[in-house]
Amino acid sequence: MASTGAAAEAARSDVRQIIGRTGHAVDNARDAMARLGMAFEAGDLVRTPFLDQALGDLALALEQDDGQKLGGKSAEASRFILRAIDRELDEA
Amino acid sequence: MRLLGGPKLDDDQKARIPPGQYFTEKWPVLHYGSIPAIDLATWDFRVWGEVTEPFSFTWDEFREMPRTQLTTDIHCVTRWSRLDATFEGVPIRHILERGKLTADAHFVLAHSEQGYTANMPIEVLDDDDVILADVADGAPLTPEHGYPLRLIVPKRYFWKSAKWIRGLQFLTRDQLGFWERYGYNNSADPWKEERFSDE
Repeated sequence: MASTGAAAEAARSDVRQIIGRTGHAVDNARDAMARLGMAFEAGDLVRTPFLDQALGDLALALEQDDGQKLGGKSAEASRFILRAIDRELDEA
Repeated sequence: MRLLGGPKLDDDQKARIPPGQYFTEKWPVLHYGSIPAIDLATWDFRVWGEVTEPFSFTWDEFREMPRTQLTTDIHCVTRWSRLDATFEGVPIRHILERGKLTADAHFVLAHSEQGYTANMPIEVLDDDDVILADVADGAPLTPEHGYPLRLIVPKRYFWKSAKWIRGLQFLTRDQLGFWERYGYNNSADPWKEERFSDE
């Protein structure tokens, strides 16, 4: 069941604001992941199987080994996954 | 059709460029995350799911399998196309024959390093132009292009040709791959311009 209440709505609003920001998609993705992690930890939002999958995929897309640049598709993956997270947020 | 740089194409070559694509002689590098570090001493490849005889093989065992050469056109969803790219490797049909698909095997999910996956129906995979390639343009695959092994599926946009592949999982029902989950087209036929699922 989706979370309700002021804290849940604030978390959703924060995440959507981050997703909608201008700027680099990779930075937005890292910030959105952090904000979602806080919301899950505080119990403001609940994980869904799709969000778990999406956050796991996002982490893979942003994984950066020492001495390497992120691949050119990391930004695109971030944009696509963030859009999917946005669509799923109301279920969290 | 946009043609950027390089030699002029004759009419036959132009006819091989799908709609919305441009010709390039280069081979652009596109991936997310980092390029994985590979140790061939511990590398293995797994075949499982809807197969009668699941199996895995090491790099040395892969190198002993029957090999083939392939010259084909490749098309990236980011709109570049290369003509007459050459690959060498093991025909996918060798893998299919060895694993012996069950009657319920209708789809395959390719698994790669770093959690990357790509899915397709068996009828797309099961063709004589589909190979597991370890050589491209006459030389071992470079790390950025999928060393040591890349699935080559020329009939589909090139994200289906999974780099750094480590296994094939055969399935009864379709299971979306990494890009397909988030909006890339599940079919990905370049001749139909099937780039994204919302188009």
